[in-house]
Amino acid sequence: MGENIEKIIEVKNVKKIYHMGHERICALNDVSFHILKGEFCCLLGTSGSGKSTLLNLMAGIEKASGGQIIIKGKNISKMSENNLAKFRQRYLGFVFQSYNLMNSMTAIENVEFPLVFKKVPRKIRRKMARDMLIKVGLGSRLRHKPKEMSGGQQQRVGIARAFVANPQIVFADEPTGNLDTKTTMEVMDLIKGMAKANHQTIVMVTHDPRLASYADKIIHILDGNIQSVEILRDITKPEEQTAASLEDTEEENKKEEKEIVSVQATENDKEMEERI
Amino acid sequence: MRISDLILMGLRNLSRRKARTALTVVGMVIGTISIVVMVSIGIGMNKIFTKSVMENGSMTIISIYKNSYVESEDGNYQSIEQKMDDALVNEISQIDHVDAVTPIYDKYVQLTSGKYQSNMELIAMDCTAMPKFGFPALSEGEYPTPENNEIILIGADAMQDFYYFSGRTPKQKTIELGKDKVSFTFSEYAVNEKKKPVTVNLNNYALFAESEDYRYNYCSYIDLEYFKTLYKKYAATLKAEDRKKALASLESYEEIRINVDNMKNVMDVQKTIEEMGYKCESDMQYLDSMLETSNMLQMVLGAIGLVAMLVSAINIANTMVMSIYERTKEIGIMKVLGCYIRDIKKLFLFESGMIGLIGGTLGMGFSYLASHYINKYGGTLLSSIMPGGGYYTEEGAKFSQIPIWLPLAAMLFAIVVGVVAGYIPARRATKISAIEAMKTDG
Repeated sequence: MGENIEKIIEVKNVKKIYHMGHERICALNDVSFHILKGEFCCLLGTSGSGKSTLLNLMAGIEKASGGQIIIKGKNISKMSENNLAKFRQRYLGFVFQSYNLMNSMTAIENVEFPLVFKKVPRKIRRKMARDMLIKVGLGSRLRHKPKEMSGGQQQRVGIARAFVANPQIVFADEPTGNLDTKTTMEVMDLIKGMAKANHQTIVMVTHDPRLASYADKIIHILDGNIQSVEILRDITKPEEQTAASLEDTEEENKKEEKEIVSVQATENDKEMEERI
Repeated sequence: MRISDLILMGLRNLSRRKARTALTVVGMVIGTISIVVMVSIGIGMNKIFTKSVMENGSMTIISIYKNSYVESEDGNYQSIEQKMDDALVNEISQIDHVDAVTPIYDKYVQLTSGKYQSNMELIAMDCTAMPKFGFPALSEGEYPTPENNEIILIGADAMQDFYYFSGRTPKQKTIELGKDKVSFTFSEYAVNEKKKPVTVNLNNYALFAESEDYRYNYCSYIDLEYFKTLYKKYAATLKAEDRKKALASLESYEEIRINVDNMKNVMDVQKTIEEMGYKCESDMQYLDSMLETSNMLQMVLGAIGLVAMLVSAINIANTMVMSIYERTKEIGIMKVLGCYIRDIKKLFLFESGMIGLIGGTLGMGFSYLASHYINKYGGTLLSSIMPGGGYYTEEGAKFSQIPIWLPLAAMLFAIVVGVVAGYIPARRATKISAIEAMKTDG
């Protein structure tokens, strides 16, 4: 580790101007910052501050009006649609406020969906998706459709989908916006736990200062400008606290897994029967 | 995306909206049926037509008549007399593609069998050329040869309709050659009462088999040289005035009949003869214009089918557009998850192509059924719209004929129509912004 830790995302002088008829609305005005590899970064701001726009720009869903966004050393604002698609397959995962699951598909099909685009063979991706769903505690709901699940469960499917391809960066746009407080905490723990376990970078957008406390770095955004960058934990220096919290989450995961193992066993039996 | 995943996903999307897919497929089925059936009717009609015209007349024969009509400058038809002799016959035989030429005399003779009488057309032509003019097969006897030229070829039905005029109602009788005695005399001019009329007994004859071409059934053929001797004998029995006329009629042939080696060359030969200054006729010149009508009919039928196909193409496009509206959110999600735009396009094209394929395949099956019923029940209607007003159609003709290439072509066409109809919606799908798409409900 040490000082020369990789800057995974660099945002340089980024501007975004929307044209609404004759009006020009400046959503982002000359924003610059960077996010380190393995960092949990939170973009905190009120609604309309431009934080979601910034996330979309970083994810390559929208094009910046000016400036550069460099992810993994590549300028994504100059990438073609095709290369962007490939880039997303390889490096990016997404969690949305409204889950954005495919309603016609079951949980396991939703989770394996990004792998379909990556041309992962059927058997392998099925197994990956199943493992992932078990990890998020939905081992018993593999064959359920989104409409048959609660919001928290749906978001867990969304998280499983975001992490299944083991991306280096996961973008989360108000992941807990539609959830109650208890589920919010569960979901946040899940995201953070997974990211830390695999040393993944998280970029989360929220308006809730309480959620920001999960982050290593908070970027306060107001009216298209960065107000301040607040570093809660410096990940360049290894800390006991971080390690401790990691262990905690791991233990929690183990607990969950124990519960799930039994469920999974029955699932397996069912499948065997089906095959016969 | 792997091809197998793409196909699986496409099929799944189609089966999600079963009713809509089914209705679109039905539209495609109707389009395919109409195009296949219409084209098959066109093909069937053309075949029947060509076949029957060819049966009814020999397509390779050209005739030059002594008395012909030409259109004069003021637009009226004018009778002209063309003088034809051996020199012309010789000249025509030199033309390329001419297979056989014969001069012809054409006289009516009176037949007598006891008290019964009848008339018959007697056509005199070069006996060596006879086998080359597409005569019907002989059911009895042989063709005359230069050595044995006294054989007379008689049409299958020429011996029917003998009448005996006594009292008010004439009696009718059919003569059986070989059983009943029959003789003929020339009847053009009254015979000089002082002389004995020339009577020829029909002992040395050959019979044509019944032919589909009515022209062969009622007339008889005789060798030219034999005819000349008979006719000169007949002329000798006439009064001096009539004798002159009779002998003068031998000086010019009444017709020169030409057989061309191939149907394709008939019009060329005809043109050459006309350039020589002779008016001539052939069945081919009528067939040509009728074939044109028939081809046009085929095109009109094809166009009707095409319109139906166009409607089903619009139908497919509509289905795909609806499908895109419904699935806007899914498309957005797919894009964000890293699906290539070309894969999204492929997915939609596959779905629309699949509708085309299913519709085309079913349509193909139903086309055979429809074709069957058209052949069974639609004959009267269809024969009336054929060129020649059904004159050329026989009983039980197949009006709808589906050649092997037609269903395959139609199916391919259906798929192409599907893919093309799906192309614009598919392109639309790729242009949807992922952000906007994900905000929509669905």
